[in-house]
Amino acid sequence: MNKLTLAVAGGRKTQSIIDRCLAAPRGRRILVVTYTMANQDQLKSRLSRHRPMEATVDVQGWFGFLLSHWVRPYLPKRFPGRRLTGFDFPGDPGRYATGENRFLDQAGRAYKLHLAQLALETDGASSGSVVDRLTNLYDEIHIDEVQDLNGYDLEVLARLMNSTIDLNLVGDVRQAILHTNPQERRHKPYKGLNIKKWFEEQEFAGNLEIEHQATTYRSIQTIADFADGLFDPSLGFAPTVSVNAIATGHDGLFAVATEHARPYLETFDAMCLRRMKTSAKSLELPFRNIGVSKGLESQHVLVAPTDNVTKYLRNGKALEPSAACYLYVAVTRARASIAFVCDRPELLRLPIWTP
Amino acid sequence: MPVPAPRSTDATSITRNSLGPTHSATVWRTLSFRSTILDYLQQFDLLTWQVSNLTLLPKLKTPFRFPSPAPRSFVHSSINVSGFGCRFTLTVEYKHSIVVKTWDNVSEMIERIVIDGYRRFQRLDLSPIPGLNIVVGDNESGKSTLLEAVSLAFTGRVNGNWASEELNPYWFHQGRVKRFFEDLRAGGATSPPEILIEIYLGEDDEPQRMRGVHNSIGADCPGVSVSIAPSDDFAEEFRLYLADTPPSILPVEFYGIEWRDFADNPLHQRPRELAVSYIDARTIRSTSGVDYHTRAMLTDYLDGKERATISLAHRRSRQLITDETLKGINERIAADESFLHDRSVGLQMDQSSRTSWETGIVPQVDGIPFAMSGQGQQAAMKVALAMSRRHETAFVLIEEPENHLSHTNLTRLLSRIQMLAGDRQQLFVTTHSSFVLNRLGLDRLHLLHDGRTARLTGLDESTVKYFRKLSGYDTLRLVLATKLALVEGPSDAIVLERAYLDATGTHPTDVGIDIVAMGGLTFGRALELCQRLDRSVVVLQDNDGRAPDEVRESVKDFLERGKRELLVSDQSSGTTLEPQLIAINDESLLRKVLGVASNADLNTWMTNNKTESALRILDSPDSIAYPDYISEAIELLK
Repeated sequence: MNKLTLAVAGGRKTQSIIDRCLAAPRGRRILVVTYTMANQDQLKSRLSRHRPMEATVDVQGWFGFLLSHWVRPYLPKRFPGRRLTGFDFPGDPGRYATGENRFLDQAGRAYKLHLAQLALETDGASSGSVVDRLTNLYDEIHIDEVQDLNGYDLEVLARLMNSTIDLNLVGDVRQAILHTNPQERRHKPYKGLNIKKWFEEQEFAGNLEIEHQATTYRSIQTIADFADGLFDPSLGFAPTVSVNAIATGHDGLFAVATEHARPYLETFDAMCLRRMKTSAKSLELPFRNIGVSKGLESQHVLVAPTDNVTKYLRNGKALEPSAACYLYVAVTRARASIAFVCDRPELLRLPIWTP
Repeated sequence: MPVPAPRSTDATSITRNSLGPTHSATVWRTLSFRSTILDYLQQFDLLTWQVSNLTLLPKLKTPFRFPSPAPRSFVHSSINVSGFGCRFTLTVEYKHSIVVKTWDNVSEMIERIVIDGYRRFQRLDLSPIPGLNIVVGDNESGKSTLLEAVSLAFTGRVNGNWASEELNPYWFHQGRVKRFFEDLRAGGATSPPEILIEIYLGEDDEPQRMRGVHNSIGADCPGVSVSIAPSDDFAEEFRLYLADTPPSILPVEFYGIEWRDFADNPLHQRPRELAVSYIDARTIRSTSGVDYHTRAMLTDYLDGKERATISLAHRRSRQLITDETLKGINERIAADESFLHDRSVGLQMDQSSRTSWETGIVPQVDGIPFAMSGQGQQAAMKVALAMSRRHETAFVLIEEPENHLSHTNLTRLLSRIQMLAGDRQQLFVTTHSSFVLNRLGLDRLHLLHDGRTARLTGLDESTVKYFRKLSGYDTLRLVLATKLALVEGPSDAIVLERAYLDATGTHPTDVGIDIVAMGGLTFGRALELCQRLDRSVVVLQDNDGRAPDEVRESVKDFLERGKRELLVSDQSSGTTLEPQLIAINDESLLRKVLGVASNADLNTWMTNNKTESALRILDSPDSIAYPDYISEAIELLK
């Protein structure tokens, strides 16, 4: 049966996949697909601690999965005589490229932008051999961070749902900040947070069973409540329940003045997060972009807020969904505390930390 | 435990609908059917479920057994197997519903071999059969090359070395090489010779990760290919080399070898699932122990646990030498340190992979190391290793098993091959021995000729058995001859030879005509074989008192005008060759040629001394006249 678990941040989503792999009977063939490289490495190392396992478990990234199982074996069926030579991550064939040029660059590498569409067309051209081959290779496929899929990726999911493979999807739609193709127009209504609607439609059609998991093992209740509050209640997310009751002596939400950022970092060894390279340029801190912080966690987190986030903290002006998702990811990295660094901390309506 | 809801069906198999509303079916395939069946059954609550209708065909040599003690609720249990590349069906019955589950393909099977431009093969397209395949052909017809190519595609190696290290200009089809250089000198645009070797497995065979359409015929199946072509990296060097009026030798240093599976993934080592054992005719006389193929066979024979145990013990013993035996020596060196170096210097046993246990362990026969035992023993041992029940090898290649073996040992080896060749392994045996061919079964023959192959199809089962019993018969002469004449006995053969010489001035053997005496074989069986091989033949038969048409009647299905003709002697001139000769020759001439005195009866003497008369006719300076059916035969043979 196909299953989707929508869990909150810190809900041990990845661990649930590992547990399933460990519990699988001998000879069961499992593929685990994840979206980010960081997650992939983490899964591999966490699984390798348990090897040898009864089941055979392979770990692949989403793009690697599409390239090696969907495109590479059957590419000549779609484009006779062509072979896949590699992966073109940054390339863009332009909006009006058609035929081969839309999917493959000069050197025969597949564009990341249209990879899922190429995968579907290759499966179509091979009269379903792609899925048939996968059926023979794996008994179950687990997909982590499923909320990051969009556009044609969803149709790839649909084809897997209709196969005999047991599909187990795990994700958190409030962390939908990465997109396989940000410009994709296909299935645009289901982009970002709205992917939830697509899953619900699949459930309605009988292709999927959705389970909600609202317990976090990471953030304390104060942070969980703050994270829940970022989203409009009409979206219908159940309130997060924290089971982390450990007090560290520095717990909850804080504001920190720019000039105190360095002492704060030195005192708490906080993980420093920012939206992107260009934000908080004036601060000389070991920043990490929020987009690559998924799956990570830290006792204390220091966030450089964007202007919109600052406004939200000052007067509660609602964030647009994508910005809310980013902030949700950032604050849910923390177990004990969040500190927002800004020039005028007194305006944020939060306790101010001083050295 | 909840009963798993049977899900989605496969169009090729039983579907939900075909079983009615209360029935359902699901299909999957797997590597090891035994563990999977158990896993599958464990999902059911066996107290409430009953398994029924599992039928076991006797063909499965390792019978399936349920775990002991067998669950009581198994009413009736066995498993259905239908041959090689087979399908297992399990029916689970519960109250009013039935779940039918099917497993496909337990063994991998080569369905097609394509070799293009490799050595003798311009293009070879062979479709092997399940189980045993016998490849026969003249010397130099490419029998060994075929096995070598299969081994190359599966292991990436030739003679135990990586193909890239062994590549030489003579790997390429020499006809193509010659044409390439001729075209080049003539200034024509021409593409350089390339080599392609492809092995196609069954569509549903493991390993499915090697499945795709990257092959020359665009088939969707798992497989491997080796392609040797000018490398893009050396395109400029290659161009310059050709521009400079080169000798007619291909510059293989500018060639690259691509070893890939049909999913277009490069291969770097022998795929585990496609274990192949290559038993070549060469025997080892070196002191280094065993060759690559034998070592691979040995390693495959041991299971992972055994390998780990040996490896550990091996490393420990080497460490022990370092720790104990070399300790004293190292202490002495340490004392002399000032003379040697300012750092600590010492000796230790080499623990690198070059000295791993595989290189140190050799098989033995009766306490004698493998390399030192007799050649026959070596061959027998390799077969035993490769074909043992527990061996993982899916494909076994055996080159000319008749080499180095006495008749008795060969018989023993063949019965072993025959016994072990079952549903589990696919075998390729090359031979130039009729005995081997007859024993292993004519219906398994692939004839290799001029780089082309022919299969013996549709041969009557009784004919296969017949030849097996008559295993001393030189069947390969029928199979391999360029032109073939079949006669009753040796005397007929000798007379025909002389008659041919008289008529044409050449010996029949010089123009590739093989005259074969039937011996114990019946003309019918021989003609059937020739017909299945689609080869032409002239048969000369005694009339034995019957009219020619009457004789022809029994074998008319196998005859074809101008291709397979049956010539029968004239009924009125006697039943066998001897009275026929007397009838048309002057008696004094015959007496002179045969050296028979006038007081002896010519007919009686000739009939009693058939072979001797024939030999005297052959050696005589005088020519005699021959009956019409012999003259006709010569016309057909010319």
